[in-house]
Amino acid sequence: MSLRQTPFHPRTAALSEGQAWRRWAGYVVASSYELSHDREYHAIRSAAALFDVSPLYKYMITGPHAARLLDRVVTRDVGKAKVGQVLYTPWCDSEGKQIDDGTISVLAEQTYRMTAADPSLRWLHLNAAGLDVTIEEVSERTAALSLQGPNARAILQVAAQRDLAGLRYFHLTDAKIRGIPVTISRTGYTGDLGYEVWVDAAQALPLWDALIETGTPYGLTPAGMLALDVARIEAGLLLIEVDYFSSRHALIEAQKSSPFELGLGWTVALGKESFNGKPALVVEQQRGPAWQFTGLAVDWESLERLYADVGLPPRLPTQAWRTSVPVYSGGKQVGYATSGGWSPLLKQYIALAHLEGTFGTPGTPVEMEITVEHRRKRAAARVSKLPFFNPDRKRA
Amino acid sequence: MPHPPPGTYDAIVIGGGHNGLVTAAYLARAGKKVLVLEKRPRVGGAAVTEEIFPGFKFTMFSYVVSLLRPEIIRDLDLPRHGLHVLPLESTVTPMENGDYLAAWGDHDETRRELCRHSPRDAEAYDEYGRLMHHMAHAVRPILGMVPPDPTSFDPRDLLALLRLGKHFRGLGAERLHALVKLMTMSSADFLDEWFETDVLKATKSASGIIGTFLGPRSPGTAYVLLHHYMGELDGVFRAWGFAKGGTGAVSEAIASAARGFGAEIRCDAPVARVLVKGGRATGVALENGDEFSAKVVVSGLDPRRTFLQLLEERELPADFVSDIKRFKFRGSSGKVNVALDALPSFTCMPGVGRQHRGAFSISPSLEYVERAYDDAKYGEFSRRPYMDIVFPSMIDPGMAPPGKHVMSVFVQYAPYNLNGGWNDTKREAFGDAVINTIESFAPGLKSHILHRQVLTPADIERITGLTEGNIFQGELALHQLFFMRPAAGWAKFRTPVRAYYQCGAGTHPGGGIMGASGRLAALAILGDGA
Amino acid sequence: MRLPPAVRWDAIVIGADVNGLVAAHYLARAGRRVLVVDGWEKADTRPDVGWVPPQIVRELGLGGLKIEHPDPWIAAPLEGGGRLELWRDVAKSAESIRRVSPGDAAKWPEFCARMRRLAGVLEALYVRPAPDVETREIGELLRMAGLGLHVRRLGKQTVIDLLRILPMSIAELLDDWFENDTLKGVLGAAGVWHLRQGPRAGGTAFNFLHHHVGSPAGVFRPPRSTLAAALAAMPGVEVRRGTEPAVVAVGGRATGVRIGGDEFSAAVVVSSANPQQTFEPLKAQLDAEFVRAVGNIKMRACVVRGSSGGNGSRAPLCVAPSLDYLERAYDDAKYGRPSAQPYVEAVGGGTELHVQYAATVDAGLAARVATALGVSTDQVTLEAPNGHLYHGELTLDQILFMRPVPGWSRYRTPIEALYLCGPGTHPGGGIAGAAGRNAARVILKET
Repeated sequence: MSLRQTPFHPRTAALSEGQAWRRWAGYVVASSYELSHDREYHAIRSAAALFDVSPLYKYMITGPHAARLLDRVVTRDVGKAKVGQVLYTPWCDSEGKQIDDGTISVLAEQTYRMTAADPSLRWLHLNAAGLDVTIEEVSERTAALSLQGPNARAILQVAAQRDLAGLRYFHLTDAKIRGIPVTISRTGYTGDLGYEVWVDAAQALPLWDALIETGTPYGLTPAGMLALDVARIEAGLLLIEVDYFSSRHALIEAQKSSPFELGLGWTVALGKESFNGKPALVVEQQRGPAWQFTGLAVDWESLERLYADVGLPPRLPTQAWRTSVPVYSGGKQVGYATSGGWSPLLKQYIALAHLEGTFGTPGTPVEMEITVEHRRKRAAARVSKLPFFNPDRKRA
Repeated sequence: MPHPPPGTYDAIVIGGGHNGLVTAAYLARAGKKVLVLEKRPRVGGAAVTEEIFPGFKFTMFSYVVSLLRPEIIRDLDLPRHGLHVLPLESTVTPMENGDYLAAWGDHDETRRELCRHSPRDAEAYDEYGRLMHHMAHAVRPILGMVPPDPTSFDPRDLLALLRLGKHFRGLGAERLHALVKLMTMSSADFLDEWFETDVLKATKSASGIIGTFLGPRSPGTAYVLLHHYMGELDGVFRAWGFAKGGTGAVSEAIASAARGFGAEIRCDAPVARVLVKGGRATGVALENGDEFSAKVVVSGLDPRRTFLQLLEERELPADFVSDIKRFKFRGSSGKVNVALDALPSFTCMPGVGRQHRGAFSISPSLEYVERAYDDAKYGEFSRRPYMDIVFPSMIDPGMAPPGKHVMSVFVQYAPYNLNGGWNDTKREAFGDAVINTIESFAPGLKSHILHRQVLTPADIERITGLTEGNIFQGELALHQLFFMRPAAGWAKFRTPVRAYYQCGAGTHPGGGIMGASGRLAALAILGDGA
Repeated sequence: MRLPPAVRWDAIVIGADVNGLVAAHYLARAGRRVLVVDGWEKADTRPDVGWVPPQIVRELGLGGLKIEHPDPWIAAPLEGGGRLELWRDVAKSAESIRRVSPGDAAKWPEFCARMRRLAGVLEALYVRPAPDVETREIGELLRMAGLGLHVRRLGKQTVIDLLRILPMSIAELLDDWFENDTLKGVLGAAGVWHLRQGPRAGGTAFNFLHHHVGSPAGVFRPPRSTLAAALAAMPGVEVRRGTEPAVVAVGGRATGVRIGGDEFSAAVVVSSANPQQTFEPLKAQLDAEFVRAVGNIKMRACVVRGSSGGNGSRAPLCVAPSLDYLERAYDDAKYGRPSAQPYVEAVGGGTELHVQYAATVDAGLAARVATALGVSTDQVTLEAPNGHLYHGELTLDQILFMRPVPGWSRYRTPIEALYLCGPGTHPGGGIAGAAGRNAARVILKET
């Protein structure tokens, strides 16, 4: 097989009913295990879902200048983070345009694990010139699972035989699950109560078995990328290559985005002495970003009317789409939506969109293009703050 | 426009190579009465497929396609005339230690393969690929333009120069600098800035030296790297392809299109000279004495033949003649075509598999390729040459009888000016060097050989007419490109003799089965109101 | 003299070489307080090789500067015995060449005239910062257009020569003109000076012209002068030698120079040192791509200097009997070996040797040099190269707006208040003081 298999593949392959796979960073992962992704999605919001997220690129950064290297590369202030904390951060090129985004886990003093969507070993090395730091790629050695949903904590507490109520949002702790050493971080891509479990690849299968065994009584359901996509849109979380393009892959300037244009201004620590892209970001912050990344909520009545006009009930995209859809205001295109679909939980047709200038202000009425029976129509929509879904349990 | 007297053509094209055929097709399409005169029994020049050994079709000289201009394919409707290009997906480079480096069609697979050699190179490869993509995009408009004359004060030239300057400035600092580096550096030095894996650099450098008399460490070879990156297949940059039926099928398709528009093509009709009266071309005379008149004569031959063989020197300005005499050819390539009763198994990847549907590059290290060049510098053929090997029958089964195969081997270096000159003995020794080298990477090859054909630059010259066997009708060195090709002030397809034009690869944009020169020349002729 | 570190200088110049001193004196003349620091305890007393732009002589009041013009400017041993001597007088050289090739002699005058015109174009380029091809500034665009016009007025042939010859190899250029191997060897050698390339490499014709700059027609070796010594003796700047200096920068801005344990503060720091050396302590404050670009500068040391006993030649002696000889000497270097038969040039009766190609002084090198010169081995002393003399080879991708790294060709650096002025910048090595003058003028305009 030309694509690689994750350490969990023997388990996930056995579960695949429809052989619905897709590639992620050179690996095969399940789009869904069951013939439809519905149940998998509902598990995220009602019980708990288990995702194989091993294809993430992972790097161990250690040494006296580890924090300095990371602070140079990313926009957040790593030096201020404490052991046990996890930071979500983008990183930029020298013009302040976003290259990628990921997390940095402070595992110990001078010891960090960084995740990324794209290979970043070379970039880390280039930035380490003159620094006393060791960079090691551990992508293949480290496997990872994501356990998300209201029952997530309960499941993990049983599995790890530990009280996890004290593990705060975006923090991590070491633990043992049936004797297997793991790191548990309270992080995830669903905007819900959830954890990610990091383990040595050699112990991947025992870990999976342990979690499945412990979690099944709590409704733990293995889930694939289709289910995750719906949840992440509800959570307002952007996806590289879909909602934005790495400046590295851009062919023209217009394909690049800054963190401010992606709603990630909160991750940009302009108070830091220096980091890649800072001068450009300072200027942009003062000027205001040209684009805003926001939510769109499609108006049901408008949608229904468009379909009724041709005698059909509305077709709701239960599988999220990842194409680019124009957004209009007053007959002029003012932006585009890059991810969208029907949220079964919120009972709303939602999308993530890029809007020019003030059109991105929440509450602004706009129109989103919808193809109804081969014809392009526009449905009324309203600019929404992100996230769409933000339960208390996420941070509790 | 009055009809020409019967027997007079609007245009005579000398040479039925692919550029000449393209010129003929475009002129015929515009309603001109065109005659193509080809000395050999078939058209194509160095893009021919011949059954040298019964049942086995050899794509004798050129063997892959990718640079054929999409606009030519569209304008001449070549697919309808039989052009069918099949993708060549992979390249495998055997290494001297038994390992290999492979580049596959799938990006993830290639990345994984590179990671095996160097994780950092795997990431750099993506960056590098993107840069080359941008560079190819930046340089592409130049392929389709007529070079302006930098020495003229003509406002059209000045405007064209200004637009060119503006285009380059518009690239932005990063790409402009990359372009300067690409134009001036050696491929080895350029690649040293990106990669650490020697076999990767060697394989990529090898594409930089094809058709040149330079080694991977010679400045100016990084540019040719880009030349080969500008290929397009179905809109995908860079992918190489194999024409069904070999490159001869490409020539036949263009010829068919030309005939479809009304052009007349005569083979076995070698032209001896161009007839000139009062500084104006009026027609041609064949070697057997037959004469044909035409309002315009176009030569698809290389510059030395076009000017110094087909014309009397006194018809041309003295400094032009010395410029043409100085134009460097220095053929350095050879070709070995082999009929096999079975495919060879390479030690690094035993057995027969998808690797045989792609190319094998014999370029295990930079030093290997550089030493191959050193041999040639001092007048010998490479003892252990660089080779690009494909098995056309694996992609197009029609090239050989069922179960049997043809192997096409492009070889460098074989200098035209071999010490002591080429003869039958030297040819066989060269062929032996080629086969022995492949055998060292694929033991058992020799036992499968049914027939071999060895073509040295002397053979290439003798058969196709390409001066000194240079496959690009003149080296693609920086000082022989663009407005200097083939001579300063004469890079616009016209010549000092009125109504005499040039359309071969010796003009801009150079060689590589692009057809671009042929088309631009035709447009120039039509523009001049022929 | 112990200087109080607490003093703040207007400018500290690192490197008491010809460029550093020129820059220092230009700054001093404009009223700045300048300190020059150099790691070497003793000044290099060897003459400076290269054209001294007349502007420098005039503007710094160096009327008494000694510039050497050996005549004949080169002598090369001939195969059958005797020597080919080339003179400052074009006709006299033609006579000399006629004895080995009448055909070459006939072409000599025109060759010299054509090369001189091209060198003149380079001279105009060298006394100002490199053209900024990316600029939007009207003034600069007009200046570039003006230069283009100036070149065009030199004639169509000159434009063609420029476009054609600059990217060529010196071997091809010489093969086009001449037939005699010794003549071509002598000329070809200038094409490969300080380049780790052979005469067949593209760009060597440019390098040949670069070394013709500042010489009259028909003289293809650069002049020698005592510029550095003359400047060192001139008052106006403080010079301190002996300890290796390092640039100090805080938050992306240069604040001064550290020498041993002392830190000297300055408003502006100018470095004539090798760019790689200059930026080494500053890596952590520099953009990753810039650091990479600096690391990629090609500066492959390939010349060993030294001295030998007298070789009986008053004129500089060139041992490069043919282009192939040079090419083979280069082939060895390509594979990481010193040349089995090196190209050797001895100036001043042997007081100065130029040996190419060698990156280190291996055991047998002295013997091979001695054989080439026809002297005994114990008369030859060689010194290991200390990096690349030009701080970056003069290849076509490392000149003009690409030197020392693309986009940073005007002496500024990404570190505020830190400038470069050495041979690693435009116009490169072998042009005495031009870089220093260009840099000083930029500094005076910007600070």
